[in-house]
Amino acid sequence: MDKQVNNEIMKQKIMVCCGTGCTANGGRDVYKAFLEQLSSISNIEVLPMVKQTGCNGWCEKGPLVKIMPEDITYCGVKVADVGEIIDKTLLQKQVIKRLLYRDPATKKHITSHHQTNFYRKQHKIALRNIGEIDPGNIQDYIDRGGYQALQKAFSSLTPQQLIDEIISSGLRGRGGGGFPTGRKWQACKDAQGSPKYIICNGDEGDPGAFMDRSIMEGDPHTVIEGMILCAYAVGASHGFVYVRDEYDLAVAYLKKAIQDARIHGYLGKGILGSNLNFDIEIVRGGGAFVCGEETALMASIEGRPGEPYDKYVFPTEKGLWGQPTIINNVESWANIPVIILKGAQEFKKIGTAGSSGTKVFSLVGKVVNTGLVEVPMGTSLREIIYEIGGGVLRNRSFKAVQTGGPSGGCIPASLLDLKVDFDTLTQAGSMMGSGGMIVMDDHTCMVEVARYYLNFLAGESCGKCTPCREGIRALLEILTRICDGEGQMKDLDLLEEISSTMQEASLCALGRTAANPVLSTIRYFRDEYLAHIKEQRCPAGVCRKLTTFYIEPEKCNGCGLCTRNCPANAIVGEKKQFHVIDNESCIRCGECYRQCRFDAVQVM
Amino acid sequence: MYIDPREYEYHSEYERMIKAYPPEQRYLLAIMQDIQKEFHYLPRLALKIISQHIGVPFSKVYAIASFYKAFSLVPKGRVVFRVCDGTACHIKNSETLIDQLHKQLGIGPGETSADGEYSLETVNCLGACALAPVMVVNGKVYGKVGPSSIEKIIKEYGGCCHGQAGK
Amino acid sequence: MFITINNRQIEVQTGETILQVCRRENIFIPTFCYHEAFGGQGACRMCMVEVKENGRNKNRLVAACTYPVTATIEVFTESDRVQQVRRTLVMLLKRRAAQDPYIEELAHKYEAPLLPKLKVDPQGCILCRLCILACEKMGKSAIWTVLRGIDKRIATPYDEETDECMGCKACAEICPTQAITFLEDGEKRSIWNKTFTLVSCERCGKPYATREQLEYMREQTGYETAQICEPCRKKTLASQVEKYQN
Repeated sequence: MDKQVNNEIMKQKIMVCCGTGCTANGGRDVYKAFLEQLSSISNIEVLPMVKQTGCNGWCEKGPLVKIMPEDITYCGVKVADVGEIIDKTLLQKQVIKRLLYRDPATKKHITSHHQTNFYRKQHKIALRNIGEIDPGNIQDYIDRGGYQALQKAFSSLTPQQLIDEIISSGLRGRGGGGFPTGRKWQACKDAQGSPKYIICNGDEGDPGAFMDRSIMEGDPHTVIEGMILCAYAVGASHGFVYVRDEYDLAVAYLKKAIQDARIHGYLGKGILGSNLNFDIEIVRGGGAFVCGEETALMASIEGRPGEPYDKYVFPTEKGLWGQPTIINNVESWANIPVIILKGAQEFKKIGTAGSSGTKVFSLVGKVVNTGLVEVPMGTSLREIIYEIGGGVLRNRSFKAVQTGGPSGGCIPASLLDLKVDFDTLTQAGSMMGSGGMIVMDDHTCMVEVARYYLNFLAGESCGKCTPCREGIRALLEILTRICDGEGQMKDLDLLEEISSTMQEASLCALGRTAANPVLSTIRYFRDEYLAHIKEQRCPAGVCRKLTTFYIEPEKCNGCGLCTRNCPANAIVGEKKQFHVIDNESCIRCGECYRQCRFDAVQVM
Repeated sequence: MYIDPREYEYHSEYERMIKAYPPEQRYLLAIMQDIQKEFHYLPRLALKIISQHIGVPFSKVYAIASFYKAFSLVPKGRVVFRVCDGTACHIKNSETLIDQLHKQLGIGPGETSADGEYSLETVNCLGACALAPVMVVNGKVYGKVGPSSIEKIIKEYGGCCHGQAGK
Repeated sequence: MFITINNRQIEVQTGETILQVCRRENIFIPTFCYHEAFGGQGACRMCMVEVKENGRNKNRLVAACTYPVTATIEVFTESDRVQQVRRTLVMLLKRRAAQDPYIEELAHKYEAPLLPKLKVDPQGCILCRLCILACEKMGKSAIWTVLRGIDKRIATPYDEETDECMGCKACAEICPTQAITFLEDGEKRSIWNKTFTLVSCERCGKPYATREQLEYMREQTGYETAQICEPCRKKTLASQVEKYQN
């Protein structure tokens, strides 16, 4: 092969998604295969060509491979496809149709992922670099405008002007509560005391949410740049990134990013020739959901059990080791460089009056396109779930969407047109939380969902204060009773009384919001509670003690899917003849009910 | 306090790992994490040394070790099955996976088989919701696992089934 | 600075907690986890009171034991909201310590409904943590909380006997619900999975303290004292004072 061709090849970039979802599907093997197979072509440097990127968000279709600058996205790429991609796409500039995404509605193949419904409606700020850069390479970040906000701040903004910019951007904390970020910074700047600390809360613990992980793994420098800007604004000398225990990859990339930032003079003494001294340390969490709460997180950094304390004096005055401290969540930090670089006014144009900017949601559950989506605040649930998410799996009927994790609530179909922002979600009895969005269909039992969350919280509460510890215990007992068909009508009143005290009297936000899953499901799905209590029936076929399945002979064509999937061997029938469930050996796991393509399996 | 004599074989190793950190309370978790990573649990002797090195009462060191889920106070099995029970996995029937593993391995969530072969754990969310329900066995991720495939996965790790595993 | 509590003007020092003010003024606020020796923990939440603060449009409930007064506020210690919360809290705590007379009294006062009893360890423990604080202050921190969430409890590490416990019973004496049990039989005392030998008073001959306790006192004070129990010590002291007055 001659040199010219090789130069031509080298202009191309192959970006292999190595986010969690893609890695689990073999993304890293695909990356290695590209490296190996390309190195057999002489006269090319392989490493700059093949990049492993963070999560593209479209986990459903992974592993994803993007070819730039042609902007071709291949879905579900396997190691076996790598040779063909090199031969046809890289060398001969041909698009391989079978690896493209095929729009289920129009049946058309789509070359660039940007044209898909999943991406078209998104507006990426916090996720702007993820999937576009190698998170281990600081130059990639710099090439896309990284650390320019810092240069701008140092050369043209005073600390107060920087804070004013954040205040006027209207940015609210993305970790859950939605407290105005600029006001927090102002309070810390005004507070007496030195040193001051800055903390990045990366203890993402909501089940079903993984946006922070994706940012830390896919674009660690944006978090670091955000923190340096804050250090400059409030006069802090030391920063901590508190990362959830399970996130090994995030720790690895953050470590590398911090080292590289030091080498480039963005961290350390006299940053970029200024008199700012600031450095960042990584602290690994111990595995406790409650440490997402500010005071528990600080206790954890100090080396104590993650038990919160009353915040009548804010951390901005007395935080870590009693010093003024700022805590912001990963996604908030990722927004900071963009606000400073492009200006608050640009940022404010996006979103709603009360909630500016975008929000990243992890769209999961019974939805066609699962993954991470970033949309302007004020986008309706319907747009997110149906247009971006492609609707409910298998065209089943939508029942609810759960937002805000264990602190949030379940929002019913009647509110699908709700325009999502901090305030609308709270009004609907749920919460923004960190941005989990779990779609539920008619096979999901809402009483059991409430029980699930309370069971989660029973193990995750720190156990310090009475209302949270004993309240959760009592709620869990009652919900379990109802799921087992032993509930009574007066249990509903008891659930509400205990919930109300938990909201009023709990020490921290975990306890104050712990009853939300209960209250929101009672509010919107009372009929399901009543079915469990009065009729001893679980309409969704989930609660095992209340469920019996049967197969409707007319609908069953004997395909055998249920038999193959039954873990208890409880389904019998000849091929192409209708099948029967043996109730004696059936364990009510509902696998047949979920699997059957013809709706032949029914709940009695 | 009783300490398993076998732990003394690692005495110098514990000391080396623990004393790599300055004697300050803020390094408690980091030290424990190192020990947990190396030994897959927190040995009593190691906790004792930590308590002396940091100057924090043993009861408080134990309180912290038992508070955080990242730490185990008993040795984990050779094969660790971690089933994700995050919301996305839960509504896609992860409970049945847990039940099946329980039945096949003869151990419940949080338990380790008597012969030290298997541990069963549930985790709150692995952030791989697109692959729900998800299970991780010794670091390898299995996505979209059906209850009927549990038997096959256990066999991959040298187990036999129906409560007979490792016995 | 002045604040109002239940519509009454009261002078306070900046930084005092609402509970400190109320105790001084003899205003009733029930507590379980508070002890003046240790300050507020904010754990039991029985001391929740309603406050009206400047700049907040809604009143909120705060824990009187941890809320420092830093501005002029209005406090209500028995509002409907407060009573409702206390009613539920007592209902929940009574499950853990059904026999406790003070809880019974509060259950009566706030008309708390009865829920089924719970089995907890130690039985009757309401996790106020005063025992931990007492042990930390008086002894060598033999006990702490273990686990978390609804499984949280007070224990020695591994539920075994410890080198730290010296059998002084400070934990049992401070416990508001008498949940920490100990056995005393002649010269033996058993507590927290450990049995101690008691030393007898040189004056009256009654066994009064553990050997470990006296040892610890020697370590702390640095001098040897006569082995005399508290009542005898007082008697001696009284007689000396008498002599001096005569």
